[in-house]
Amino acid sequence: MTSRARRNTELGLIVLAAFITVALYTLGALGRTATLPANIGPFLGIVLGLLVVAHIATRILAPGADPVLLPMAALLNGIGYVFIARVNTRLAGLQATWTLVGVGAYVLTLALVRRSRDLRRSTWTLLLVGVGLLVLPFVPHVGRTINGARIWIRVGGLSFQPGEAAKIALAAFFAGYLVDRRELLGVGTWRIGPLRLPQPRDLLPILAAWALAVTILIGQGDLGSALIFFTLFVVLLWVATERTSYLAVGGVLFGAAAYGAYRTVDHVRERVEVWLDPWKTAKTSGYQIIQGSYAFAWGGITGTGPGLGDPTRIPEVQNDFIFAAIGEELGLFGATAILIAFLLLIGGGLRTAVRATRPYEKLLAVGLTTLLGVQAFVIMGGVTRLVPLTGVALPFVSYGGSSLVANYVLLALLVRTSHDVAVEAGEAAVRRTRRQRRAERAEATVSG
Amino acid sequence: MNRNIRRLGLGLLACYVALFAQLNWLQVFKAHAYNTSPDNDRAVVRDFTRPRGTIASADGILLAQSVPSNDRYQLQRVYPAGDLFAHVVGTFSFAYGSSGVEQSWNDQLAGQTARQQISGLGQIFGGGDRIVGDVTLTLRADLQAVAKQALGARPGSVVALDPRTGAVLALWSYPSFDPNALSSHDFAAVGELRKKLLAAPGNPLRAAAFEDRYFPGSTFKIVTSAAGLDSGQVTPATPVYPVRTQYVPPLTTNPIKNFNGEACGGNLVDILRVSCNTAFAQMGVDLGAPIMVGAAGRFGFDTTVPFDLRGAAQSFFPPLSAFERDTPKLAQSAIGQNEVQASPLQMAMIAAAVANGGTMMVPHVVADVRDSNGSTIEQTTPTVWRTAVTAPNASILRDAMVQVVRSGTATLMAIPGVDVAGKTGTAQLGTIPASSHAWVVGFAPADHPVIAVAVLVKAQPGVSEVTGGTVAAPIARQVIAKALTVLAH
Repeated sequence: MTSRARRNTELGLIVLAAFITVALYTLGALGRTATLPANIGPFLGIVLGLLVVAHIATRILAPGADPVLLPMAALLNGIGYVFIARVNTRLAGLQATWTLVGVGAYVLTLALVRRSRDLRRSTWTLLLVGVGLLVLPFVPHVGRTINGARIWIRVGGLSFQPGEAAKIALAAFFAGYLVDRRELLGVGTWRIGPLRLPQPRDLLPILAAWALAVTILIGQGDLGSALIFFTLFVVLLWVATERTSYLAVGGVLFGAAAYGAYRTVDHVRERVEVWLDPWKTAKTSGYQIIQGSYAFAWGGITGTGPGLGDPTRIPEVQNDFIFAAIGEELGLFGATAILIAFLLLIGGGLRTAVRATRPYEKLLAVGLTTLLGVQAFVIMGGVTRLVPLTGVALPFVSYGGSSLVANYVLLALLVRTSHDVAVEAGEAAVRRTRRQRRAERAEATVSG
Repeated sequence: MNRNIRRLGLGLLACYVALFAQLNWLQVFKAHAYNTSPDNDRAVVRDFTRPRGTIASADGILLAQSVPSNDRYQLQRVYPAGDLFAHVVGTFSFAYGSSGVEQSWNDQLAGQTARQQISGLGQIFGGGDRIVGDVTLTLRADLQAVAKQALGARPGSVVALDPRTGAVLALWSYPSFDPNALSSHDFAAVGELRKKLLAAPGNPLRAAAFEDRYFPGSTFKIVTSAAGLDSGQVTPATPVYPVRTQYVPPLTTNPIKNFNGEACGGNLVDILRVSCNTAFAQMGVDLGAPIMVGAAGRFGFDTTVPFDLRGAAQSFFPPLSAFERDTPKLAQSAIGQNEVQASPLQMAMIAAAVANGGTMMVPHVVADVRDSNGSTIEQTTPTVWRTAVTAPNASILRDAMVQVVRSGTATLMAIPGVDVAGKTGTAQLGTIPASSHAWVVGFAPADHPVIAVAVLVKAQPGVSEVTGGTVAAPIARQVIAKALTVLAH
């Protein structure tokens, strides 16, 4: 597939995503008020306009990238917006602004990071940035505690969750860190009876990551981020070293931390108990998850239809529980479409990782994809009561600026890596900056 | 690394497959349980807040409507006629389920039939309401009121049909209940009241007129007569049954006796007129089980009545196998005793079939459903259910039943200037304490019937002289008389 064919495919998929979004928006308004939304023309224009801007940026800056990544993100963002607008008109305006910022961040990231491997030079800077962002909520006067989790900062009237950006920085750091040490971490063997474990020295990084995760968990009360963060590191370690024993060690550490938290941290125990039997506390801690289950059940196979359900029965439905609102109004069909959209994103990311020839690009793509795929799974699984609920945003879908912008940056990095892989495979032209072209010309003149 | 990346892909895929399975669990397998969970009022709110059509009687009396309420459900269902139509109109209650027309015609009332939804599509862009259906019953409020007043405070049922169409004109059972109290939005109070009604004597929540069945007694002799006539073994003149006080069927020494130990006999007209047990028992035995079972089946026994209200009882006549080497059972069954049971609706249909030249129509309570502009959405067309007896034999039966009113057991049904056809029944329930069901069935005018009735007055303990002719016949006469003044004929 040539670059041009890839981009044309992407354009077609983007137009499709835009029309699905607008159709849902229209049906939602019809369902609620039986009238066509007055602003439907401008709405279509803005949605298409934003997506076309992102598409043109990709066409110019990363023409060889996988054509599925951007349209799937656009579809999820669009469906998410429709449902936010459906449950809360005031938040819809804010989310629209954040989408604008998100697309801007996407273009900016593509423009600034010209080759994904350039990030490798900043590995330790990224660690500093990541950890800095993580501890930011603890800074007096800046940090805020909302809903029991100290993961917010407030600057100039706007609230952010710096942890969303921290995850990306740390994923890039892990990729850079492990690329240098994967050989070392892979060789040593420490035998204890039948077990073949990495040497104690090689266990230090995983223990450090574990300690960091536990700190986040205890210090910030953010169960979901701790889980995602730890999973990310263990997966990267496993992929980088090709040693399954790291998975085992990671699993044991995770189990120990989970059990310890269950025994000592009240709200972790509460989450597990609600997961096991929400009806025991149906009026209090179990209320939200029960209403979520009722919303899914009410939707059934085909859903109530956009605007015809009653999703505002679920407290905070626009955040963690947006998937339940989709399940109610679009039914099993619509919820499955969301699953498939995420699977296509994961597939695009991992395809990039498999095709990449440079270990750093592989690990970066794996890290970013794992981040996205696991976060989506953790929250959708929590809302459907497949796993205990941990409050994290559903990428691209949930309301929230920090999450949306961070995920657009993540998407841009995946798109960038995907393009680099295509260039390496000779499927896309190397796009040089003006300075590089001038330098090459000068070089040619000298040698000539 | 690629091997592990592929494994990671498979791992994530497995996670999402598990999510998909969980979605199926929630949205398919558990959906019904969750939707009907007591703490989930989504369905309650949907059903209560939705506009709903009215229900009115054939003579234009409003029986059910939704009026604005000031609570979260926005609408309150009210029943202006109170207990008069409770068993037909039913109640609209989410917590305890609906009943009557409110239940069986719910889709039309709520505008949920495919047809109403398709016509409603045209209104979507105009911001119009959903197309709800207004239901008109075949029952008349004036006849229903007469039935209620005539039966009074005696447990029993009155059913009146138009024999030509199967349209139910009146359907009353005492005791009844007030549907308004059961439709309150105070679900706890409704629950208490329901509990009380379920424990109340006579089970007022039950529409005894079609949900319960009783020994039909001598009213069943119409079926036995039809069996004899259709078999060709009985004509108006032959055979002539011997005049006697008791008849001992083969294979037993227990005699079947006549009422008060009287002696009776004669031809078909004679024995029907005085309701002669000995003669009809012998007729049943002479005809044999196959002919009796066949005739009972043609009159609708052992088949569920196709009725547009749920829960219609299936009337019972024993199967052929039950009569093998049991002639006494056949003799008792021929006079409507032993195990024979029929609902009051079934007995009215039997009278109506004779009135309608032997053709039994499908009974129904709803005449039509219209939208708010008055255009018809659905209309019940009269449908033949089965042929109970041939037309010539139906007219022989009719003439004999006229004699029953003129000079037989049902003289209290007589109306001056009109030929009324009737048949009484007294189903003995026991001797200690002595009690019996008093029955009468009939129709009028005999030559072009417009109404067929069945009246049942249930057992009253200690009363031994109760017979259909004295207790039930006057009730039937009042209903028929009222019908003849209000119905065109």
